[in-house]
Amino acid sequence: MGATSVHRTIDAVWRMESAKVIAALARYTRDVGLAEEMAQDALVAALEQWPVDGVPRNPGAWLMTTAKRRSIDQIRRRENLNRKVEEIGREVQEVTPDASEGIDDEIGDDLLSLMFTACHPVLGTEARVALTLKMLGGLKTEEIARAFLVSDATVAQRIVRAKKALADAGVPFEVPEGPELATRLASVLEVIYLIFNEGYSATQGDDWLRPELCAEALRLGRVLAELAPKEAEVHGLVALMEIQASRTKARTGPNGEPVLLLEQDRGRWDWLLIGRGLKALERAEALNQPPGPYYVQAALAACHGRARRAEDTDWQRIATLYQVLASISPSPIVELNRAVALSMAFGPAAGLALVDEIAGEKALQGYHLLPSVRGDFLVKLGRTAEAKAEFEKAATLTRNERERTLLLGRAAAC
Amino acid sequence: MRFMVFVRSSGPLAALHGDELLRAGVLLDAGDFVPDSCGISGFWLIDVRDHEEAVERMKRIALPACVVEIRQVAVV
Repeated sequence: MGATSVHRTIDAVWRMESAKVIAALARYTRDVGLAEEMAQDALVAALEQWPVDGVPRNPGAWLMTTAKRRSIDQIRRRENLNRKVEEIGREVQEVTPDASEGIDDEIGDDLLSLMFTACHPVLGTEARVALTLKMLGGLKTEEIARAFLVSDATVAQRIVRAKKALADAGVPFEVPEGPELATRLASVLEVIYLIFNEGYSATQGDDWLRPELCAEALRLGRVLAELAPKEAEVHGLVALMEIQASRTKARTGPNGEPVLLLEQDRGRWDWLLIGRGLKALERAEALNQPPGPYYVQAALAACHGRARRAEDTDWQRIATLYQVLASISPSPIVELNRAVALSMAFGPAAGLALVDEIAGEKALQGYHLLPSVRGDFLVKLGRTAEAKAEFEKAATLTRNERERTLLLGRAAAC
Repeated sequence: MRFMVFVRSSGPLAALHGDELLRAGVLLDAGDFVPDSCGISGFWLIDVRDHEEAVERMKRIALPACVVEIRQVAVV
């Protein structure tokens, strides 16, 4: 095996094993920051040794053992932590590089704890996202930086600050219980969906999509669904992401321009993902829990997913589901979507009436989709001069280049 | 990237257990083929970042003596 090939293998092994290694180390050290640093040290050791000695038979266990030994060295340097040294020392005796079975036994709980810690509400949104991608996705700092169009230093700084914030706040490494669980789970789901959405509708830059972020969010969601199978909202989120991801290929035209949902070639939808999304939705429904926002959004996406042709879409059901969503999580943006559904079910005048009702909402000021949607209704009502002004306004508000081009095109067509 | 993993064995092959792949969030589909003169076989459809990851994931699954074939699948 050549050096390049070994490095590719190390990259793959790291992506697969790093979260497990960090999670297991965090259980022993009760310090996520230290666990992540020691796992990184183990990676450096692998990069030095594997090209020379070859990839070990059980690379995950090798990384784990090496990281634990580094942890011991680190902890030994700290005063007043002798008890921890003994505990970890015992663990190292038990885990040899060829015995991986013990790692996976408890890894589920550890991974779940790691998710809850990385997504702790004490952290800001950007910090939670960066930490999750780094510790659970196994992404390198430069990969995260590239995905979010920021510098490596910015991401590195976010991660360092996040780890410090966790330590300062004394966030315990555990799966929360009782009433706290719902809040903390919502934070985890929010982070996963943020990652997905940043990939699905890139808010900045020239590209409309960043598929690697979508793929990572989907993978994290699927992992979470296996770790927390009794939480309907987790399945709801997975269903939502699977169905949305199914449209990835159809969402852009030959020149990278966005293609709106109803104009997409449904033959280019990924029906395997739609099937998976519908199954995830069934899993959520089978749990008989009160509908949460992700479940309802998934049910909405499923209405489109079930329609082989745009004209087969059940818009009345969509309008009803938006009403349910508005009752669970009231938001002017949900109302804006409901306006679209109403216009499709009952005509553009019905949609325009609702849009005009909510147009004064503070949250919608500066939101490009408000004038974009209004412009669409006005076109359908034959009020093209007003529509043109709305599309031009929307174009000035969006930060996405592709979308701006689309909106200016619509304005020019009026 | 999607990869189809074919597992073929001339002898009895227990139904393919993809639990590890499922827990890792990479398993999209799985199935067993009807036995024929070439033996018994099944497949996994997995979604991973690259070929190396597909190979490494397969190495971690305990399988009896068999042939494992990994092929990338185009998503059209």
